[in-house]
Amino acid sequence: MLQSLCERMTHPGGALLAIFSTRVRALRAALAVIAFVVGPAFASAQWLDYRTPGIPRLASGAPDLGAPAPRTPDGKPDFSGMWFANVPAKDYCREADCIQEERMAREQINLGIKLEGGLPYTEWSKEQMVERRANGGREDPHTYCKPPNFPRAWTLPQYTKIVQTPSLVVMLHEFNAAYREVFLDGRPLPEDPNPTWNGYSTAHWDGDTLVIETNGIRDDMWLDIQGSPVTEAARVTERLTRLNFGIMQVEIAVNDPKAYTRPWSVTIEMAAQVDTTMLEEICLDDEQDVRLYR
Amino acid sequence: MIMAKIANRVRPLLVACGVGLVLIPVAQAHHSQSEFDLRSKLEVEGVVTKLEWKSPHARLYVDVKDDNGEVVSWNFELPSPNTLMRRGWKRDALQPGDRVKVGASPARNFPAIGIATSIRDGDDKALFTGTTPIYEPEAASQ
Repeated sequence: MLQSLCERMTHPGGALLAIFSTRVRALRAALAVIAFVVGPAFASAQWLDYRTPGIPRLASGAPDLGAPAPRTPDGKPDFSGMWFANVPAKDYCREADCIQEERMAREQINLGIKLEGGLPYTEWSKEQMVERRANGGREDPHTYCKPPNFPRAWTLPQYTKIVQTPSLVVMLHEFNAAYREVFLDGRPLPEDPNPTWNGYSTAHWDGDTLVIETNGIRDDMWLDIQGSPVTEAARVTERLTRLNFGIMQVEIAVNDPKAYTRPWSVTIEMAAQVDTTMLEEICLDDEQDVRLYR
Repeated sequence: MIMAKIANRVRPLLVACGVGLVLIPVAQAHHSQSEFDLRSKLEVEGVVTKLEWKSPHARLYVDVKDDNGEVVSWNFELPSPNTLMRRGWKRDALQPGDRVKVGASPARNFPAIGIATSIRDGDDKALFTGTTPIYEPEAASQ
């Protein structure tokens, strides 16, 4: 903006301007210095492309995603940062040109997509799935802008930001500007929890893996778009391992005897998102799809 | 001036499905898109009247002349502003008066509403629309 102003102010156009050329040159130099100093602050409306400080970088300045996982001052792996499903960017090619596909984890649609035989649904679950499919998935809580419940939230097309302290890990999620608390202070899981969207989570360390235990999940939660259920009977264990700076492995183990005939687990990869920022996404701002399901 | 042609092409990626069986198709976004007929494709050319930059989906409103010369105002669903911004879009990427070509799948039960699968601006440049191959799940029961 300031550079543009400089250009406009110094546009060669008329004798009058020539009279002031010396002053204009001085002003132009001053504005150029100001633009250099404060310019980055106006680079974008938010910090979409803002350089993340304090991360490992290659000589080129690019993030060194293969660098060792960072550690906190007490020597624990540090999961802090923004994460998104590790889906490689692909081009969608049609006719003369290619544009980038949307990066979307396949597990977003079917969390058990990589499990041989799929998820082990109980008869009750199968009935739920048949009904949900017959209805075209229209009862999906997410469609109605309900909260981004974990563990489903890992696969949604919004970022999760982890803020880690020695006794508490906070997960912020862009969708509806949501949060989740994971207590690392040794407290037990509640014995008779009032069910909630994310349930109640505590964690402990198993070597370099953060093991999160969750109970108290609501009875009507979906794990994916196709409607795989998770219920109040569930105990969910997530094992977070930061393989290096760029990749975090999340093993999701579900023991839910109401919805599944046996415990099962899947592993997804999350990719660190750097040199950018969280972007608020308030679903109820302009939700228009629900009426279309009629 | 404008052509509104509906192609009804079945994509090669799609598996054959039972007649009348409603599946849970997903082409982009964060929930089922069974409100759209993703197998049906239409292409229109028209004039942008508004780019609505709101969550959970940005929307592009385009005036299109139909075969009878009547102007039809289309409402095209796009990915979220967040997703679009991360692919280079800006909230003023398209302005009222801009000519665009839009490929889309129509809403099943509502006229002049669709989910955009391709957009070309006035310079015939293709813009990101969040397109992915359509996914339709196998039988749910195991």
